[in-house]
Amino acid sequence: MTTDLDQNPRSLLVSERSSFRDLKNRISSQVEQLHLNYKVSLLLPEYSFDRSVPRTRIDEDNCVSLTPKGHLTLSLDKDSFEVLGVEGKPSRFNHRVKKRFVVSVDLTDSCMAPGGRGYLRLLAGLKSRLRLKMDFLLSHHPGGGASLQTLLSRHDWSEHRPEVSRHTLTHLSCPALLTSDLLSCDPHSFLEWLGAAHAHISCGNTSSSFLSSLVCPEPKTALSRALSVSVCGLLLPQDIHRLLQQIRVYLEESHLESWACLTVHGFVDSPVSWGANEHGVLRGGENFYSLLMFHDDVYYLHQATGAHDTCPP
Amino acid sequence: MRREDETDETSVFRRVVLKNASPYHYMKICLVLDDESTKLSAVDLKLFILTGLKNLFGEVGAAISFDLLKYDEDTLSGLLRVPSRSLVKLWSSLTLLGFYQNQACAFRVLQVSPYLLSLTGNSRELKLD
Repeated sequence: MTTDLDQNPRSLLVSERSSFRDLKNRISSQVEQLHLNYKVSLLLPEYSFDRSVPRTRIDEDNCVSLTPKGHLTLSLDKDSFEVLGVEGKPSRFNHRVKKRFVVSVDLTDSCMAPGGRGYLRLLAGLKSRLRLKMDFLLSHHPGGGASLQTLLSRHDWSEHRPEVSRHTLTHLSCPALLTSDLLSCDPHSFLEWLGAAHAHISCGNTSSSFLSSLVCPEPKTALSRALSVSVCGLLLPQDIHRLLQQIRVYLEESHLESWACLTVHGFVDSPVSWGANEHGVLRGGENFYSLLMFHDDVYYLHQATGAHDTCPP
Repeated sequence: MRREDETDETSVFRRVVLKNASPYHYMKICLVLDDESTKLSAVDLKLFILTGLKNLFGEVGAAISFDLLKYDEDTLSGLLRVPSRSLVKLWSSLTLLGFYQNQACAFRVLQVSPYLLSLTGNSRELKLD
Protein backbone atom coordinates (compact mmCIF):
# COMPACT_ATOMS: atom_id res chain seq x y z
CA MET A 1 0.00 0.00 0.00
CA THR A 2 2.80 2.37 0.86
CA THR A 3 4.41 1.98 -2.56
CA ASP A 4 1.11 2.82 -4.24
CA LEU A 5 0.78 6.00 -2.23
CA ASP A 6 4.28 7.03 -3.22
CA GLN A 7 3.68 6.72 -6.95
CA ASN A 8 2.75 9.50 -9.31
CA PRO A 9 1.68 9.62 -12.93
CA ARG A 10 4.56 9.86 -15.37
CA SER A 11 6.21 13.19 -16.02
CA LEU A 12 8.65 13.93 -18.78
CA LEU A 13 11.21 16.67 -19.11
CA VAL A 14 13.48 16.95 -22.12
CA SER A 15 16.46 19.16 -21.58
CA GLU A 16 18.51 20.19 -24.56
CA ARG A 17 21.56 22.37 -25.11
CA SER A 18 22.49 23.65 -28.51
CA SER A 19 23.49 26.81 -30.31
CA PHE A 20 21.74 29.04 -32.83
CA ARG A 21 24.99 28.83 -34.80
CA ASP A 22 24.79 25.05 -34.97
CA LEU A 23 23.49 24.33 -38.47
CA LYS A 24 21.64 21.30 -37.21
CA ASN A 25 19.77 23.10 -34.45
CA ARG A 26 16.09 22.28 -34.49
CA ILE A 27 14.71 25.25 -32.61
CA SER A 28 12.58 26.48 -35.53
CA SER A 29 10.86 23.16 -36.03
CA GLN A 30 10.42 22.73 -32.28
CA VAL A 31 8.79 26.15 -31.92
CA GLU A 32 6.69 25.35 -34.99
CA GLN A 33 5.28 22.18 -33.49
CA LEU A 34 3.49 23.64 -30.50
CA HIS A 35 0.62 25.36 -32.27
CA LEU A 36 -1.80 26.33 -29.55
CA ASN A 37 0.19 28.64 -27.33
CA TYR A 38 -1.53 30.33 -24.46
CA LYS A 39 1.08 32.40 -22.71
CA VAL A 40 4.58 33.66 -23.30
CA SER A 41 6.68 34.85 -20.39
CA LEU A 42 10.01 36.53 -20.69
CA LEU A 43 12.55 37.14 -17.96
CA LEU A 44 15.31 39.65 -18.60
CA PRO A 45 17.93 40.35 -15.96
CA GLU A 46 19.25 43.84 -15.23
CA TYR A 47 16.49 45.38 -17.28
CA SER A 48 13.68 47.62 -16.22
CA PHE A 49 10.99 49.32 -18.19
CA ASP A 50 10.88 53.02 -18.89
CA ARG A 51 7.98 53.39 -20.94
CA SER A 52 -15.78 34.94 -21.96
CA VAL A 53 -13.64 32.31 -23.06
CA PRO A 54 -15.09 29.14 -24.28
CA ARG A 55 -15.24 27.29 -21.00
CA THR A 56 -14.25 24.01 -22.55
CA ARG A 57 -12.41 21.49 -20.43
CA ILE A 58 -10.85 18.61 -22.24
CA ASP A 59 -11.42 16.19 -19.39
CA GLU A 60 -15.15 17.04 -19.23
CA ASP A 61 -16.32 18.46 -22.54
CA ASN A 62 -15.96 17.87 -26.25
CA CYS A 63 -13.03 19.83 -27.60
CA VAL A 64 -11.87 20.55 -31.15
CA SER A 65 -8.63 21.91 -32.55
CA LEU A 66 -7.46 22.73 -36.06
CA THR A 67 -3.76 23.26 -36.74
CA PRO A 68 -2.35 25.33 -39.61
CA LYS A 69 -1.35 22.15 -41.42
CA GLY A 70 -4.99 21.20 -41.76
CA HIS A 71 -5.11 18.64 -39.02
CA LEU A 72 -8.50 18.51 -37.33
CA THR A 73 -8.66 16.79 -33.95
CA LEU A 74 -11.87 16.11 -32.09
CA SER A 75 -11.64 14.92 -28.51
CA LEU A 76 -15.09 13.51 -27.75
CA ASP A 77 -16.88 11.73 -24.93
CA LYS A 78 -18.15 8.22 -25.67
CA ASP A 79 -21.74 9.19 -26.52
CA SER A 80 -20.77 11.96 -28.93
CA PHE A 81 -18.18 9.70 -30.56
CA GLU A 82 -20.71 6.98 -31.21
CA VAL A 83 -23.29 9.42 -32.55
CA LEU A 84 -20.73 11.03 -34.88
CA GLY A 85 -19.93 7.68 -36.51
CA VAL A 86 -16.47 8.54 -37.76
CA GLU A 87 -13.41 6.39 -37.22
CA GLY A 88 -11.35 7.27 -34.14
CA LYS A 89 -9.34 5.70 -31.39
CA PRO A 90 -9.60 5.58 -27.60
CA SER A 91 -7.85 8.41 -25.80
CA ARG A 92 -4.57 7.67 -24.05
CA PHE A 93 -6.01 9.41 -21.00
CA ASN A 94 -8.67 6.76 -20.38
CA HIS A 95 -8.38 4.82 -17.17
CA ARG A 96 -9.80 1.28 -17.37
CA VAL A 97 -13.14 2.32 -18.90
CA LYS A 98 -12.95 3.85 -22.38
CA LYS A 99 -14.86 7.08 -21.89
CA ARG A 100 -13.09 9.41 -24.30
CA PHE A 101 -12.21 9.03 -27.96
CA VAL A 102 -10.06 11.00 -30.34
CA VAL A 103 -10.93 11.52 -33.99
CA SER A 104 -8.05 12.78 -36.14
CA VAL A 105 -8.79 14.02 -39.61
CA ASP A 106 -6.27 15.24 -42.15
CA LEU A 107 -8.22 17.89 -44.04
CA THR A 108 -5.63 18.01 -46.81
CA ASP A 109 -6.41 14.40 -47.76
CA SER A 110 -8.12 14.02 -51.14
CA CYS A 111 -11.25 12.40 -49.72
CA MET A 112 -11.71 15.42 -47.45
CA ALA A 113 -12.02 17.86 -50.34
CA PRO A 114 -15.44 19.57 -50.36
CA GLY A 115 -17.87 17.11 -51.92
CA GLY A 116 -15.57 14.14 -51.26
CA ARG A 117 -16.71 10.95 -49.56
CA GLY A 118 -14.99 11.58 -46.22
CA TYR A 119 -15.99 15.23 -46.25
CA LEU A 120 -19.70 14.46 -46.70
CA ARG A 121 -19.61 11.76 -44.05
CA LEU A 122 -17.95 14.01 -41.47
CA LEU A 123 -20.22 16.92 -42.32
CA ALA A 124 -23.34 14.79 -42.01
CA GLY A 125 -22.10 13.48 -38.67
CA LEU A 126 -21.32 16.94 -37.31
CA LYS A 127 -24.34 18.77 -38.69
CA SER A 128 -27.25 16.36 -38.59
CA ARG A 129 -26.33 13.65 -36.11
CA LEU A 130 -24.16 15.23 -33.45
CA ARG A 131 -25.23 18.86 -33.92
CA LEU A 132 -22.07 19.97 -32.19
CA LYS A 133 -21.87 23.66 -31.36
CA MET A 134 -18.54 25.09 -30.28
CA ASP A 135 -16.79 28.32 -29.59
CA PHE A 136 -13.49 28.73 -31.39
CA LEU A 137 -10.46 30.86 -30.68
CA LEU A 138 -8.94 31.86 -34.01
CA SER A 139 -5.74 33.63 -34.82
CA HIS A 140 -4.46 34.83 -38.16
CA HIS A 141 -1.19 36.02 -39.69
CA PRO A 142 -0.74 39.75 -40.10
CA GLY A 143 -2.71 40.64 -43.22
CA GLY A 144 -4.48 37.30 -43.30
CA GLY A 145 -7.67 38.71 -41.83
CA ALA A 146 -9.38 39.20 -45.20
CA SER A 147 -9.66 35.49 -45.90
CA LEU A 148 -11.36 35.01 -42.53
CA GLN A 149 -14.03 37.63 -43.23
CA THR A 150 -16.26 35.32 -45.30
CA LEU A 151 -16.15 32.70 -42.57
CA LEU A 152 -16.74 35.16 -39.76
CA SER A 153 -19.63 36.88 -41.52
CA ARG A 154 -21.71 33.75 -40.97
CA HIS A 155 -21.08 33.56 -37.21
CA ASP A 156 -21.13 35.66 -34.07
CA TRP A 157 -17.65 36.75 -33.25
CA SER A 158 -15.69 39.27 -31.24
CA GLU A 159 -12.09 40.40 -31.41
CA HIS A 160 -9.73 40.14 -28.45
CA ARG A 161 -6.23 41.48 -28.10
CA PRO A 162 -3.49 39.57 -26.28
CA GLU A 163 -3.13 40.76 -22.73
CA VAL A 164 0.32 42.04 -21.78
CA SER A 165 1.52 42.39 -18.22
CA ARG A 166 4.87 43.61 -16.96
CA HIS A 167 6.53 43.40 -13.58
CA THR A 168 9.89 44.69 -12.52
CA LEU A 169 11.39 42.32 -10.00
CA THR A 170 13.86 43.78 -7.57
CA HIS A 171 16.49 42.05 -5.46
CA LEU A 172 15.98 38.75 -7.20
CA SER A 173 18.33 35.98 -6.20
CA CYS A 174 19.46 34.03 -9.21
CA PRO A 175 21.61 30.93 -9.83
CA ALA A 176 25.12 32.26 -10.36
CA LEU A 177 26.25 29.87 -13.02
CA LEU A 178 23.80 30.90 -15.70
CA THR A 179 26.47 30.86 -18.36
CA SER A 180 26.46 29.09 -21.66
CA ASP A 181 29.29 26.65 -21.04
CA LEU A 182 28.19 25.40 -17.67
CA LEU A 183 24.74 25.19 -16.25
CA SER A 184 25.48 23.70 -12.93
CA CYS A 185 22.06 23.42 -11.41
CA ASP A 186 19.90 20.59 -12.67
CA PRO A 187 16.92 21.29 -14.95
CA HIS A 188 14.31 20.77 -12.26
CA SER A 189 15.79 23.22 -9.79
CA PHE A 190 16.34 25.72 -12.57
CA LEU A 191 12.68 25.46 -13.65
CA GLU A 192 11.60 25.73 -10.03
CA TRP A 193 13.59 28.92 -9.61
CA LEU A 194 12.16 30.31 -12.86
CA GLY A 195 8.63 29.42 -11.81
CA ALA A 196 9.19 31.15 -8.46
CA ALA A 197 10.43 34.27 -10.26
CA HIS A 198 7.38 34.40 -12.54
CA ALA A 199 4.96 33.65 -9.70
CA HIS A 200 6.61 36.33 -7.51
CA ILE A 201 7.55 33.83 -4.85
CA SER A 202 10.40 34.81 -2.59
CA CYS A 203 13.39 32.47 -2.50
CA GLY A 204 14.85 34.20 0.53
CA ASN A 205 14.05 31.46 3.01
CA THR A 206 16.25 29.45 5.28
CA SER A 207 16.04 25.73 5.72
CA SER A 208 14.47 26.25 9.13
CA SER A 209 11.66 28.57 8.00
CA PHE A 210 8.28 27.27 9.09
CA LEU A 211 6.23 28.30 6.07
CA SER A 212 8.56 27.56 3.22
CA SER A 213 12.06 26.24 2.72
CA LEU A 214 12.27 27.18 -0.95
CA VAL A 215 15.71 28.53 -1.72
CA CYS A 216 17.51 29.64 -4.83
CA PRO A 217 19.89 26.95 -6.18
CA GLU A 218 23.46 27.44 -4.96
CA PRO A 219 25.75 29.12 -5.84
CA LYS A 220 23.69 32.23 -6.29
CA THR A 221 23.99 35.91 -6.99
CA ALA A 222 21.58 38.76 -6.51
CA LEU A 223 20.14 40.76 -9.37
CA SER A 224 19.27 44.32 -8.46
CA ARG A 225 16.41 44.21 -10.92
CA ALA A 226 14.90 42.07 -13.65
CA LEU A 227 11.95 42.39 -15.96
CA SER A 228 9.21 39.79 -16.20
CA VAL A 229 6.83 40.28 -19.13
CA SER A 230 4.00 37.98 -20.11
CA VAL A 231 1.54 37.90 -22.97
CA CYS A 232 -1.69 35.87 -22.82
CA GLY A 233 -3.93 34.89 -25.71
CA LEU A 234 -3.86 32.54 -28.69
CA LEU A 235 -0.33 33.10 -29.92
CA LEU A 236 1.05 31.73 -33.16
CA PRO A 237 4.46 30.04 -33.53
CA GLN A 238 5.27 32.85 -36.00
CA ASP A 239 4.78 35.43 -33.22
CA ILE A 240 7.21 33.48 -31.07
CA HIS A 241 9.74 33.30 -33.92
CA ARG A 242 9.64 37.07 -34.25
CA LEU A 243 10.05 37.52 -30.53
CA LEU A 244 13.01 35.11 -30.53
CA GLN A 245 14.76 37.12 -33.24
CA GLN A 246 14.25 40.34 -31.29
CA ILE A 247 15.63 38.83 -28.12
CA ARG A 248 18.69 37.58 -30.01
CA VAL A 249 19.33 41.07 -31.35
CA TYR A 250 18.94 42.48 -27.85
CA LEU A 251 21.38 39.91 -26.43
CA GLU A 252 23.97 40.64 -29.13
CA GLU A 253 23.84 44.34 -28.35
CA SER A 254 23.97 43.95 -24.61
CA HIS A 255 26.98 43.33 -22.42
CA LEU A 256 28.70 40.02 -21.82
CA GLU A 257 27.21 37.37 -19.59
CA SER A 258 23.73 38.51 -20.38
CA TRP A 259 20.90 36.06 -20.82
CA ALA A 260 17.17 35.96 -21.40
CA CYS A 261 14.64 33.31 -20.65
CA LEU A 262 11.53 32.75 -22.73
CA THR A 263 8.79 30.40 -21.58
CA VAL A 264 5.88 29.36 -23.79
CA HIS A 265 2.87 27.65 -22.23
CA GLY A 266 0.52 25.62 -24.42
CA PHE A 267 -3.20 25.56 -23.76
CA VAL A 268 -4.01 23.15 -20.93
CA ASP A 269 -7.16 21.98 -22.73
CA SER A 270 -5.63 21.68 -26.17
CA PRO A 271 -6.41 18.28 -27.78
CA VAL A 272 -2.95 18.24 -29.38
CA SER A 273 0.54 19.26 -28.30
CA TRP A 274 3.88 18.89 -30.04
CA GLY A 275 2.67 18.42 -33.59
CA ALA A 276 -0.47 16.35 -33.81
CA ASN A 277 0.16 14.20 -30.74
CA GLU A 278 -2.65 13.74 -28.28
CA HIS A 279 -2.68 15.88 -25.17
CA GLY A 280 -4.80 15.68 -22.06
CA VAL A 281 -5.04 17.22 -18.62
CA LEU A 282 -5.21 14.47 -16.00
CA ARG A 283 -3.95 16.79 -13.22
CA GLY A 284 -1.87 19.64 -14.53
CA GLY A 285 -2.07 19.49 -18.31
CA GLU A 286 1.46 20.86 -18.49
CA ASN A 287 2.85 21.37 -21.94
CA PHE A 288 5.39 24.15 -22.08
CA TYR A 289 8.90 24.88 -23.15
CA SER A 290 11.42 27.21 -21.71
CA LEU A 291 14.31 28.62 -23.70
CA LEU A 292 17.30 30.06 -21.88
CA MET A 293 19.42 32.07 -24.31
CA PHE A 294 22.88 33.56 -24.01
CA HIS A 295 24.71 36.26 -25.91
CA ASP A 296 26.99 33.71 -27.61
CA ASP A 297 24.02 32.03 -29.32
CA VAL A 298 24.05 29.00 -27.05
CA TYR A 299 20.68 28.05 -25.69
CA TYR A 300 19.11 25.58 -23.30
CA LEU A 301 15.70 24.26 -24.18
CA HIS A 302 13.53 22.54 -21.59
CA GLN A 303 10.39 20.89 -22.89
CA ALA A 304 7.90 19.42 -20.46
CA THR A 305 4.79 17.34 -20.93
CA GLY A 306 2.40 15.69 -18.58
CA ALA A 307 1.32 12.11 -18.10
CA HIS A 308 0.55 10.03 -21.22
CA ASP A 309 1.71 12.72 -23.65
CA THR A 310 4.30 11.58 -26.17
CA CYS A 311 7.89 12.70 -25.87
CA PRO A 312 8.51 16.21 -27.30
CA PRO A 313 10.52 16.38 -30.55
CA MET B 1 16.42 7.37 -14.85
CA ARG B 2 18.57 9.41 -17.16
CA ARG B 3 19.24 8.67 -20.76
CA GLU B 4 21.75 10.41 -23.00
CA ASP B 5 20.12 10.42 -26.42
CA GLU B 6 22.88 11.83 -28.50
CA THR B 7 26.29 13.18 -27.72
CA ASP B 8 28.57 14.92 -30.09
CA GLU B 9 31.97 15.93 -28.82
CA THR B 10 32.45 18.63 -31.44
CA SER B 11 29.23 20.55 -30.99
CA VAL B 12 27.51 21.92 -27.93
CA PHE B 13 24.44 19.80 -28.63
CA ARG B 14 23.26 17.67 -25.77
CA ARG B 15 19.87 16.14 -25.11
CA VAL B 16 18.79 14.57 -21.86
CA VAL B 17 15.39 12.98 -21.25
CA LEU B 18 14.34 12.94 -17.61
CA LYS B 19 11.47 10.65 -16.77
CA ASN B 20 9.65 10.92 -13.45
CA ALA B 21 12.67 12.75 -12.08
CA SER B 22 10.86 15.69 -10.57
CA PRO B 23 11.75 15.88 -6.86
CA TYR B 24 8.71 17.97 -5.97
CA HIS B 25 5.10 18.45 -6.99
CA TYR B 26 3.30 21.78 -6.77
CA MET B 27 -0.36 22.30 -5.96
CA LYS B 28 -2.53 25.33 -6.37
CA ILE B 29 -5.20 25.14 -3.70
CA CYS B 30 -8.06 27.22 -2.43
CA LEU B 31 -9.85 26.88 0.91
CA VAL B 32 -13.61 27.37 0.86
CA LEU B 33 -15.16 28.20 4.24
CA ASP B 34 -18.81 28.28 5.26
CA ASP B 35 -18.40 31.67 6.89
CA GLU B 36 -16.61 33.77 4.30
CA SER B 37 -15.58 36.44 6.79
CA THR B 38 -13.22 34.07 8.62
CA LYS B 39 -9.63 35.23 8.43
CA LEU B 40 -6.80 32.77 8.15
CA SER B 41 -3.13 33.68 8.19
CA ALA B 42 -0.46 31.74 6.33
CA VAL B 43 0.73 30.17 9.59
CA ASP B 44 -2.85 29.16 10.47
CA LEU B 45 -3.28 27.51 7.10
CA LYS B 46 -0.06 25.56 7.33
CA LEU B 47 -0.91 24.40 10.86
CA PHE B 48 -4.38 23.39 9.70
CA ILE B 49 -2.98 21.27 6.86
CA LEU B 50 -0.41 19.74 9.23
CA THR B 51 -3.21 18.77 11.62
CA GLY B 52 -5.01 17.05 8.77
CA LEU B 53 -1.89 15.12 7.82
CA LYS B 54 -1.35 14.05 11.41
CA ASN B 55 -4.97 12.95 11.85
CA LEU B 56 -4.90 10.81 8.74
CA PHE B 57 -1.37 9.42 8.67
CA GLY B 58 -0.16 9.91 12.26
CA GLU B 59 3.43 10.87 12.93
CA VAL B 60 4.44 9.76 9.42
CA GLY B 61 2.04 12.31 8.00
CA ALA B 62 3.10 15.04 10.40
CA ALA B 63 6.69 14.52 9.29
CA ILE B 64 5.96 15.32 5.62
CA SER B 65 7.88 18.48 4.85
CA PHE B 66 5.66 20.49 2.54
CA ASP B 67 6.05 24.21 1.92
CA LEU B 68 3.51 26.97 1.60
CA LEU B 69 5.20 28.96 -1.15
CA LYS B 70 2.63 31.66 -1.61
CA TYR B 71 -0.60 32.58 0.11
CA ASP B 72 -3.27 35.17 -0.47
CA GLU B 73 -5.29 35.92 2.67
CA ASP B 74 -8.14 37.55 0.76
CA THR B 75 -8.92 34.64 -1.51
CA LEU B 76 -7.60 31.93 0.87
CA SER B 77 -5.65 30.44 -2.01
CA GLY B 78 -2.06 29.37 -2.09
CA LEU B 79 0.70 27.33 -3.67
CA LEU B 80 2.08 24.24 -1.97
CA ARG B 81 5.27 22.35 -2.67
CA VAL B 82 5.52 18.74 -1.58
CA PRO B 83 8.07 15.98 -2.23
CA SER B 84 6.71 13.87 -5.11
CA ARG B 85 6.47 10.73 -3.02
CA SER B 86 4.25 12.48 -0.46
CA LEU B 87 1.85 14.05 -2.96
CA VAL B 88 -0.86 11.43 -2.62
CA LYS B 89 -0.74 11.61 1.19
CA LEU B 90 -1.02 15.40 1.20
CA TRP B 91 -3.79 15.44 -1.40
CA SER B 92 -5.85 12.81 0.42
CA SER B 93 -5.57 14.61 3.74
CA LEU B 94 -6.62 17.88 2.09
CA THR B 95 -9.67 16.12 0.69
CA LEU B 96 -10.64 14.78 4.09
CA LEU B 97 -10.26 18.09 5.93
CA GLY B 98 -13.91 19.02 6.38
CA PHE B 99 -13.99 21.29 9.42
CA TYR B 100 -12.06 24.38 10.43
CA GLN B 101 -12.88 25.53 13.97
CA ASN B 102 -16.28 23.83 13.90
CA GLN B 103 -17.33 25.29 10.58
CA ALA B 104 -17.62 23.29 7.38
CA CYS B 105 -14.81 23.81 4.91
CA ALA B 106 -13.35 22.23 1.79
CA PHE B 107 -10.07 22.43 -0.05
CA ARG B 108 -10.32 22.88 -3.80
CA VAL B 109 -7.26 21.56 -5.62
CA LEU B 110 -7.10 23.79 -8.69
CA GLN B 111 -3.97 22.51 -10.39
CA VAL B 112 -1.22 20.01 -9.68
CA SER B 113 2.02 19.78 -11.59
CA PRO B 114 5.60 18.55 -11.25
CA TYR B 115 6.68 22.02 -12.49
CA LEU B 116 6.13 25.25 -10.59
CA LEU B 117 6.44 27.04 -13.92
CA SER B 118 3.33 25.41 -15.31
CA LEU B 119 1.23 26.80 -12.43
CA THR B 120 2.08 30.29 -13.68
CA GLY B 121 0.54 29.68 -17.11
CA ASN B 122 -2.83 27.98 -16.70
CA SER B 123 -5.04 28.68 -19.70
CA ARG B 124 -8.13 27.91 -17.63
CA GLU B 125 -7.58 31.29 -16.00
CA LEU B 126 -7.80 33.10 -19.35
CA LYS B 127 -10.38 35.88 -19.33
CA LEU B 128 -11.38 37.42 -22.62
CA ASP B 129 -12.17 41.12 -22.29
